Amino acid sequence: MDCSEVLIQVELYLDQEMTDVNCEEFKQHLGDCSPCMDRAEFQQSLRLIIAKKCKCEDIPADLAQKILASLDAEESTAP
Amino acid sequence: MADTDVTLEARRMRFERDAMPLMPSLYSAALRMTRNPSDAEDVVQETFLRAYRGFGGFQEGTNLKAWLYRILTNTFINSYRKKQREPDTVSGDEMEEWFLYDKLGPDAATPSAESSVLDAMPDEAVQAALESLPEGFRMAVLLADVEGFSYKEIAEILDVPIGTVMSRLHRGRKALEKALWDTVRERGLVSDGL
Repeated sequence: MDCSEVLIQVELYLDQEMTDVNCEEFKQHLGDCSPCMDRAEFQQSLRLIIAKKCKCEDIPADLAQKILASLDAEESTAP
Repeated sequence: MADTDVTLEARRMRFERDAMPLMPSLYSAALRMTRNPSDAEDVVQETFLRAYRGFGGFQEGTNLKAWLYRILTNTFINSYRKKQREPDTVSGDEMEEWFLYDKLGPDAATPSAESSVLDAMPDEAVQAALESLPEGFRMAVLLADVEGFSYKEIAEILDVPIGTVMSRLHRGRKALEKALWDTVRERGLVSDGL
């Protein structure tokens, strides 16, 4: 695997969708090639930032109660 | 009958035990889909009601989270999204690969690094960048990068072939890089000469 091939496959690797055989070869290249490693790490960190910042922790306080109430209503009308 | 629960009470208990803990994560995804808290709340409520109605036929041991996200996605698509034609292209299509890396350099995303302009961005700016993507691309990126689903799971949730998932992810991520770059520049987080 050369650099251009590795850089095309970074996405597959970070998505953990690479076959085991390719994965070994890929990891070996990254270990030996710091320019490719820098890019892979950048992409990995970028994803972590996106995930962290796009998760909403602020759930409406009464939403669970509203859902359970709608299930109660469903049960009372069910045959 | 596929129903495994002896009584309605047993089904209700199983639903509360297995499905309800996933509610916060579904709400978070719904918020990114609808871009508005009130619609997100409605979509999630309707999702759980539909899921409860179908729960008798749901096989225990299969992927509950993916099943719920599929209902969420369908509920959103059928009822809440603005009716509009989806563009086939997205604003990152014409860009070079490694656009953001080339613009910002290797440390821009490193957590806690002084030069990490991306980590320093406010949450709502990153959310707005994701929400600016056309729906098909936004959903793929949301499901993969925020919710952590595999290609196969995303294909099932969105009901498209795996090849389509991979293409939307690749193009959606590039478009997101473009949107992030525009945001960093607009907010003056980097100088234009960079």
